[in-house]
Amino acid sequence: MSVGSSDGPLAGLRRPFEGPNTMGNTPGFWLGFVVAVAVLAALPVLFGYYAAEIGAVFLAYALLGVSLAFIWGYCGILSFGQVVFFGVGGYAFGVVAINVPTLTGATLGLLAAIAVSTCFAAALGYFMFYGGVRNVYVTILTLVVALVLYTFMGQTAGGEWAIGDARLGGFNGMSGVPDLGIGIGSTGLEIGIVAHYYVTLGALVATYLGLRALVNSHFGYAMVATREDESRTEMFGYNTTFIKFAAFTIGGAIAGLSGVLFTTQNNYIDPSVFGITAAALPVVWASVGGRTSLLGTVGAALAIQFLDYQLALSGSEWALVIIGSLLVFVVLVMPEGVAPRLRDIVVDYRSSEPTPADAPAGTEEVSD
Amino acid sequence: MAAPELLNLGFEFVEIFAFIVLATVGLAVIFGMMGIINLAHGEFILVGAYATSFAVAAGLPLAVAMAVGVVATAAFGLVLERFIIRRLYGRLLDSMVVTWGISLVMIQLTRIAFGNTAPGVGIPFGQLPVVDGPVYYLVLAVIAVGVLGGLYALFTWTDFGVRARATMQDEETARSMGVDTDRMYMATFAIGSGLAGLTGALYAPVMTVTPEYGTSFLVESFVAVVVGGSSVLLGTILASGFLGTVNAAFTNLAGTFMGQVAMLVAAIVAIRLMPDGITGLLSDLREKWGESE
Amino acid sequence: MTGRRCSRRDVIAGGSASVLAGLAGCVAEGGLVGLGDGSSGPTVAILEDRSGTFALTGTAKYRTTKLAIEEINRDGGILGEEIEVFAPDPQSDNMRYQDLTRYAIYREDVDVMWAGYSSATREAIRPIVNEHEQLYFYTTQYEGGVCDKTVFPLGATARQQLGAVVPYMIEEYGDEIYTIAADYNFGQLSGDWVKIIAEEHGAEVVGEEYIPLSESQFGSTINDIRSADPDFVMSMLVGQDHSSFYEQRLASGLTDIPIGTSTNMAQEREHLRIDPPALEDVYAGVSYMEELPTDRNEAFVERYYDRWDDAEYINQEAQNNYFSVYLYKEAVERAGTFDQEAVIEELESGIEVEAPEGDVALDPTTHHVEHNMRVAHADETHEITFDDERTIEPTFLHDVGCDLTSEAEQTQYEPADYYEVV
Repeated sequence: MSVGSSDGPLAGLRRPFEGPNTMGNTPGFWLGFVVAVAVLAALPVLFGYYAAEIGAVFLAYALLGVSLAFIWGYCGILSFGQVVFFGVGGYAFGVVAINVPTLTGATLGLLAAIAVSTCFAAALGYFMFYGGVRNVYVTILTLVVALVLYTFMGQTAGGEWAIGDARLGGFNGMSGVPDLGIGIGSTGLEIGIVAHYYVTLGALVATYLGLRALVNSHFGYAMVATREDESRTEMFGYNTTFIKFAAFTIGGAIAGLSGVLFTTQNNYIDPSVFGITAAALPVVWASVGGRTSLLGTVGAALAIQFLDYQLALSGSEWALVIIGSLLVFVVLVMPEGVAPRLRDIVVDYRSSEPTPADAPAGTEEVSD
Repeated sequence: MAAPELLNLGFEFVEIFAFIVLATVGLAVIFGMMGIINLAHGEFILVGAYATSFAVAAGLPLAVAMAVGVVATAAFGLVLERFIIRRLYGRLLDSMVVTWGISLVMIQLTRIAFGNTAPGVGIPFGQLPVVDGPVYYLVLAVIAVGVLGGLYALFTWTDFGVRARATMQDEETARSMGVDTDRMYMATFAIGSGLAGLTGALYAPVMTVTPEYGTSFLVESFVAVVVGGSSVLLGTILASGFLGTVNAAFTNLAGTFMGQVAMLVAAIVAIRLMPDGITGLLSDLREKWGESE
Repeated sequence: MTGRRCSRRDVIAGGSASVLAGLAGCVAEGGLVGLGDGSSGPTVAILEDRSGTFALTGTAKYRTTKLAIEEINRDGGILGEEIEVFAPDPQSDNMRYQDLTRYAIYREDVDVMWAGYSSATREAIRPIVNEHEQLYFYTTQYEGGVCDKTVFPLGATARQQLGAVVPYMIEEYGDEIYTIAADYNFGQLSGDWVKIIAEEHGAEVVGEEYIPLSESQFGSTINDIRSADPDFVMSMLVGQDHSSFYEQRLASGLTDIPIGTSTNMAQEREHLRIDPPALEDVYAGVSYMEELPTDRNEAFVERYYDRWDDAEYINQEAQNNYFSVYLYKEAVERAGTFDQEAVIEELESGIEVEAPEGDVALDPTTHHVEHNMRVAHADETHEITFDDERTIEPTFLHDVGCDLTSEAEQTQYEPADYYEVV
């Protein structure tokens, strides 16, 4: 999309992450990206533990948003139940880490949580896609799965709902979930408040880059082709059912990881993560940010949660009215989302410039 | 099973069946015919319930108050269609996000305007002689079936119905045939809204009315619409019958919790086995049967 | 980062880990910009829901707390200092509660907080409260059992409420009980308590059903109650969907079976929201209801409606919020400082306050309150009368050996840990 994208000293480094399926393939974009990550990395240094704790929660949300943007934006699967894998990941970590209260437990917990949420996504994906469930039916089915878990987990208060030492805790939630950590026994690294922030930021950046590479690979092309026209893609010899199944499973794994990061930050998880309000959040982020833009979704998740939080802080009774109206407005005015719209503006601006290649990268890095 | 128990079970089924049909029918019209996933469906029901509740408090007879509820919700739907919804035709998933936003706004506006509760409306007609239940539930079931019958008549036999269905199936062609498609969309959306309002009005006596009132209907309605499939009316009846049976049977055997979970699980399995809903399966069967003849 | 153990090999092996450790090392708690608290005076956090599901009860909790603080400030504050209020709206959302609790602790540096309606909310923020050893008043009537050094759960516990109403009902109506309760922690534990108390009084639970919070159709439940034909029903139904039970009870003709409850009327004022006579012969075990006919309470109710002219009702926990602000004031004045540790020590010294419900004493060892428990009865016009007043201590926590003056625990006990619940 940009003529001058292949030159520059770091072109080789960028190449795996660039392609027609992602916006932002210019040096200017990458400069902006590095600046944005640096700013995020500087937040705890500037604002202390408070910024680290709140920031880590928001970054975990952003990661959840990315997991949806990946399957919805690139493969056309709108899951209303990404929170299922988010919550399952969180609970699975809790169960393992509470039962093995050492760093081994935390490490195993992380692995187990990702494994469990991946398997759960794979099972659900197999059940749906190999059964011919499509489009809006996938959306409703995933939502129903979330609601089943919500109803079920809410009544697991009794002592009989325990796995080893870990009480599921019912509606009041699972308390005493340990911090994240990596190591064996008591040797290793316990991840405290600030480190947790950087781990979450690192996970988000790594996932983002990894998914960029993935969507610009052959598999990514196949995903987009499936999204655009499933029967034609199938005619070209692609197994679109498998492609959807695989994409959905990857999305579930990422959501599970974000759930672990969220749960370990709060040392707590409860069934409200499966509720309809929580389930709608990732969909909102992805639609507002632009589901075809992973970074747009990240930006939207951070911006919306921050705004929402500020409104709650104000204590105003109009907070939910403002948030809701804003949603309606953005989706009506920018159907594709904010990031693709900004990209279009930048592209228009460039093409009207006489020397597009030299144009300074003003606002474009925000666009993705 | 003794006779009174069977009667009780039958009555529980009637109660749940009526609830699912009425929760679903407004959504089914809007989703099935217009391709709008209305996540604010519950809040349309809320409008009907509030209008009814306040009309009763103002001294109107219950039946008139309910009519007020229906008209108010239809008018409300009409306004919303003109300003917001009509930009969303053909944008199924966007419609979901927008209506989610509308739902947030409406719940909170209701709270700001009317406080945390609405005036209570008593259940009319008293209780049944044999079974422990209100006569009113039988009335609800009769109205539910009546509504479906009325809709069927409206959309198959009247001129309006034919035009509306033509518009929903192929807008371009309908327009070229001289149908005012814009008006058809408006009218259909208003009908769907009015039906949601009717549900709110009918259930205002049975359930206490608060700003969160609409959310009680959301799950049942979405599940039933999807299980029902593309053919709105038949789908609603079949899905409500199926889900109602599962719910009533499991509730009777193992309590309310199992009833709810069993209904949701049954819905998941049904969607898996019939990806196009019950009516999708039926039309497939009909085609196959037609071919073999 | 606390308790980090890094051997040299680990650091060399994990390059990224060492970067992480380095980064973390250079972060100060307040940050370079140091967004500390904006005010230097004493600050109180009121995290009570004014929107979302719990607005029905949270709004009054917010307002009584605000009223108490305004009264205190008008009379010269505490220790001569004016109290500032930090009062965002958590919107009945547990995730938001966690964020706001952090804000209150880090940014506002609050001296004390009142927060949350549901037990789930309390459990969601308790890890944060514990980590920062924050003084925290939780005022909703609840399942009981929290034994936590910095937490003061002042609402009547299930044991206190049911201990008032169940024996009364057994005496008045007979010994066959049918329990219906919300299917979550509070409801299930309350169901256990009904069984324990019934056994203590020679009565029997002949049937029970636990109902999901989102259920609003009670046909099957009503049928089951009818066929079990108990002497009375114990209802621990919770929330707005469940309040539909009473309308359906009336229309099904079930009003001939009286109902005892620990949840209805005093919290969500079902007797005022639902047309009579749906709550005819409902008996609630309560520490407080707005209708309480004492001079002290009537004066309080008048002050409240003068301050908030659009107010709807003062529920039981809102009254707890009100008197606990005065409890806090008394403790700070005795301690002579707002320092939380010192204030907690004073709160544990046997402290009493004149509450609208009557004089109440804070139990030093368990951080609970000895409430004045009554049985409130609604007649066919939903007129409330009060019977059988008595003081009930938080005995359960004494029995399990919770003594916060000697051991700083952070736990929650359950009846099943101590009793044989069949």
